[in-house]
Amino acid sequence: MATEQDTAQPYGEQSDLEQLYERLVETGLAKLAVYAGLGVFLVWTLFPVYWLVTATLKTRETLLSFPPQWIPFDAQLGNFAALFAQRPEFFQFILNSVIVTIVTTIIATSIGAAAAYGFVAFDFPYNLDFHLPFYILSTRFMPPIVTIIPLFVIYRSFGLVNTLPGLILTYVMFNIPFAVWMMKGFFEEVPRSIVESAMIDGHTHVGAFVKIVLPLVKPGLIASAIFTIIITWNELLFAIILSQNASAMTIPVGLASFITKYSVQWVNMSVAGTIALVPVLVFAFVAREQLVSGFSMGAVQK
Amino acid sequence: MATDTQFGSASEDAIVSAGDEGPRERLLLWIDDHLKWLLTLPAVLVLFSLTFVPLLRALEISLHNYIPTGRRFVGIGNYVDLLSNGDFHTSLWVTFKFVVAAVGVEFLLGFAIALLLNKKIKLRGLWQTLILIPMILSPTVIGLIWRLLYAPSGLLDFIIGQPLLGQNVGWISEPQFALISVILTDIWQWTPLVVLVMFAGLQSVPDHIREAAIMDGASRRQRFLHITLPYLKSLIVLVLIIRVVDALRVFAKVYILTRGGPGSSTNVISMQMYRVAFRFSNYGEAAAMAVSLLVVVLILAMSFVKIAGVEF
Repeated sequence: MATEQDTAQPYGEQSDLEQLYERLVETGLAKLAVYAGLGVFLVWTLFPVYWLVTATLKTRETLLSFPPQWIPFDAQLGNFAALFAQRPEFFQFILNSVIVTIVTTIIATSIGAAAAYGFVAFDFPYNLDFHLPFYILSTRFMPPIVTIIPLFVIYRSFGLVNTLPGLILTYVMFNIPFAVWMMKGFFEEVPRSIVESAMIDGHTHVGAFVKIVLPLVKPGLIASAIFTIIITWNELLFAIILSQNASAMTIPVGLASFITKYSVQWVNMSVAGTIALVPVLVFAFVAREQLVSGFSMGAVQK
Repeated sequence: MATDTQFGSASEDAIVSAGDEGPRERLLLWIDDHLKWLLTLPAVLVLFSLTFVPLLRALEISLHNYIPTGRRFVGIGNYVDLLSNGDFHTSLWVTFKFVVAAVGVEFLLGFAIALLLNKKIKLRGLWQTLILIPMILSPTVIGLIWRLLYAPSGLLDFIIGQPLLGQNVGWISEPQFALISVILTDIWQWTPLVVLVMFAGLQSVPDHIREAAIMDGASRRQRFLHITLPYLKSLIVLVLIIRVVDALRVFAKVYILTRGGPGSSTNVISMQMYRVAFRFSNYGEAAAMAVSLLVVVLILAMSFVKIAGVEF
């Protein structure tokens, strides 16, 4: 127990407050306070999400009733069907989101993984194997709003505004830096000797990469793909500007337009929001370990 | 022994045997010879054409005035106009308030929670996973959730408005509350990031340093101030940079919650840019703002690093 060491200080000068703290530690009250603090933070973090999801089961009246209905006992399961009946264009938004997300994920993960392997496995002239990944990562720091005006002007002249390929191209760019950064770490773990002996056995380098290295980094590929899926599925800023009519709108834009157009239709909004939210939660659950370390350890290593 | 080991014996088709040089084999050999460029150039080219090229275009656009019939070169005219543009100044001030308040609270609260998490507690992994949720949600969904909470007679009115003020608060419809509400939403979304990063940092403080300090009789507070904090300095700077740079470009949250209003009370700089570019089609002025923002972000990031004396 660390607390035993702490209290057994031979000549530590302790203030009254610290002595009080030690007393609290001895009685276990400090531990209780720690759990209480973490518990309150957890409730504050999760309750708003709970509130949205349960709103899908309420009626218009119970949704904003006073006092609030904490648990929706009379669940209105018909709310989901009602959304599609009243706003059929939502089907189109879902379809667009699915297409854009799948295509973006395949392209961005492939390009990112290939580049990451290239930088890990080969030596480049002029130290480029250090400079290029650094350049790739640094693009992530550029505020998207800076590129969006020129991109809009460029896309307009190529007829890419209001098209899914235009959105996909943007999202591929968005996701490559992260895929490169993530896959680099995984490829560095693969011993070079594995590739070398495969090539001695007569494999081409490409063959060794595809058949031997890629299967070894499958967890990394899955994690990059899930990050890409989440980012793409959620993206709003570029989607708002690059898809201005319903035929190319993804769920976030469609939902955003609902919110501003029919802001009093709370039940429909909540159902649509929950449909947007559930896939993200599912994928995040699958990749929860990589997400935690991606958000924390990555920062520590840098 | 090692050379006898058969790797990938199931992949015969990728094996090139000597003396069998058909077009397919020549192609495979050519690919191998140029493999490093074939692998890396697509990523470099995509990023170059979609970041560097637009950046140059943004510079070029910012030097022109756009009118319905075409455009006119005005030199640095758009930048000069920004100096005397009241809406732009207001948006700078709103952005400043937003960044300072949001990042400040996120950092202090997040660090405090990380210190709690650093005690020996059960179910830590599960707890970390659960607090991730706000970070991975779409800004649209976040905006919707908080619109629901901020709605007249909504939950926040039940908890705060009615008991404390005796009335519904126009959380996002009254100028004096709208910015605070947007800030609160940002705090809700991003405090978990600070928690995760600072917790990982706390875990990385080597045990022997802590133990040596305990042996020397350093009190808890002394250990925190003289060992933990200096050890975490570069990480603190890093998390502040990440959050400040991110908060400076906040857009989606504001767009969904308030559209910059009421009036200009939540009109952050990206919202102002959006209004100027896509509502008034004044691309030149918006691009000038964008370039200025980029310069500010770069200067901030560099001076943060300088002040803290951090080396990356």
